[in-house]
Amino acid sequence: MGIAVEASHITKRYPQRQTLRDVFHLRGVKRVTVLEDVSFQVEMGQLFGLLGPNGAGKTTLIKIFCTLLLPDAGKAIVNGFDVSRDGKAVRKRVGYIISDERSFYWRLTGRQNLRFFAVLNNLTNSEAALRVAHLLCLTGMESHADKMFKDYSTGMRQRLAIARGLLTDPEILFLDEPTRSLDPIAASDTRAFIRDRLVGEAKRTVILATNNMQEAESLCERIAIVHRGRLKAYGTLREIYQAVNGTERYALRVSGAQQCCMNALARILPGGRIDIVPPGVPEQDGFALRISLHPGREDIADILAFLVSEGVRIQECSRDELSLDEVFSRIVD
Amino acid sequence: MAASMRKPLAFLRRDFVASASYKFAFISQILGIFFSVLTFYFMSRLFGVAIVPYLAPYGGDYFSFVLTGVALASYLQVSLTTFSGSIRDAQVFGTLEALLVTQTEIPTVILCSSLYSFLMTSLRVIVFVVLGVLAFGMDLRNPNIVGALLILLLTIAAFSGLGIISASFVMVMKVGNPLNWIFSNLSWVLGGVFYPVAVLPDWLQKVAYLLPLTYSLEGMRLALLKGYGMWDLMPNLLPLAFFAVVVLPLSLWTFSYAVGKAKRDGSLTHY
Repeated sequence: MGIAVEASHITKRYPQRQTLRDVFHLRGVKRVTVLEDVSFQVEMGQLFGLLGPNGAGKTTLIKIFCTLLLPDAGKAIVNGFDVSRDGKAVRKRVGYIISDERSFYWRLTGRQNLRFFAVLNNLTNSEAALRVAHLLCLTGMESHADKMFKDYSTGMRQRLAIARGLLTDPEILFLDEPTRSLDPIAASDTRAFIRDRLVGEAKRTVILATNNMQEAESLCERIAIVHRGRLKAYGTLREIYQAVNGTERYALRVSGAQQCCMNALARILPGGRIDIVPPGVPEQDGFALRISLHPGREDIADILAFLVSEGVRIQECSRDELSLDEVFSRIVD
Repeated sequence: MAASMRKPLAFLRRDFVASASYKFAFISQILGIFFSVLTFYFMSRLFGVAIVPYLAPYGGDYFSFVLTGVALASYLQVSLTTFSGSIRDAQVFGTLEALLVTQTEIPTVILCSSLYSFLMTSLRVIVFVVLGVLAFGMDLRNPNIVGALLILLLTIAAFSGLGIISASFVMVMKVGNPLNWIFSNLSWVLGGVFYPVAVLPDWLQKVAYLLPLTYSLEGMRLALLKGYGMWDLMPNLLPLAFFAVVVLPLSLWTFSYAVGKAKRDGSLTHY
């Protein structure tokens, strides 16, 4: 599978506002780093999450990929095109779904707004009319299309923003906090639309910037966690969990275990990596265990086989995942 | 429809729909033209024939003189302000990013954004002249229309160059537009909008002839009010053409530099 988007050692610094004293003392422009040596790749057809708190640098990254900003160092590549040199080619291939409602003309209707942006994206008038009608239908905005934008609800404005981002049927879509300010139902609908229609059916590559952990967890196949301009973690959720935690955790419910069996298990897994929940001496009629394993070195199947060989009955066994919230907290703290 | 017209028309439609939705402002703009013409008519009656010696090269009628001046100066004003205004509006209203991620290049966005202002200015000028001729007796007996249009085109080209340089300032500095301020004020005072340049002291007349508006106004008046031929208009056409040829390419380079700087500084949408 090809690479849709690639960040290679991207660094971005913004000049700080100079005071008059700075100017008169001919002090050089101070710069604040917003991105530092950020690298990652997004494969074609993937739903990729850019996760980070406010001010982490997510929007700056997206703006670089959409040719609205130039990196100070490093390269941003979209479908093989360098954003610094081939801006026109990049803009043909990307759709930027801007959540800012001020990016529309408030005294034009939804349809008039979309027709205007369609023409700016080189669609002929007849193509624009057809495409706009299709997108209004797709986003459920048909019945509101001829109302002024200023009269739309936040959810309707967001749907129109999605429709605008899809005007050129782009291969790659950038979404910057698409569920911000939406009520839970509208947010859920938007997530379903992204997952099922954009990625599932249309096979588009989607890069989603969000600070909502649950959203990233429920939607994204791979995630990059950005904090204070630096890439803190990058990979699938499982890879990130392992990188952060270093272990895999399993929750077991067992019965029939003797103290000697538990002592033997503790010898196999030294270092407090076995917990009895609630703590205490194992009871004959069953208790819960939480076990931490080093992936690649220890296998849950071996542990279960050992327990069975010791006459222990295993009632339940499940992987005990850290939530992304916990992972995120560990990364940024 | 020709592909090249599609985008300009889309911008015109956008701006017309937005302007027409403010109905009172739309109507008051039209009424304003009538009151301006009326003001100049009464001013011309006040002056009577007192300044005829200065006005003799232009036919001697102050009303025709000042109406031509104000009509053309409105092109100066719109050329200087519309490009920077459209950038500033897009920054403040928040539409600039949405425009810049489309497949339309920035110069096209800026030029097309200014079309509605030019169209409305042209309509105002037409209403000005028609009202002047039909209602107040403006003297247009033997106009050189082709010469007047050529002067108008060169005037718009030269002033638009200055306007695009102004837009470059706005792109980088957001507010505070020194070029616009200097040219606008100098042109109104020295360019000969309300009075002929000949009334100025000699040294100020020399400064006046460094401004494109001076050549525009003089040429336009000679073409419309005196019916001068193309050859006789050359002393006005050539300096205007020179301004246009020098300033327009310079303005496009400046604007491209300003956009690059804003993209590097991350200030494209700041205001």
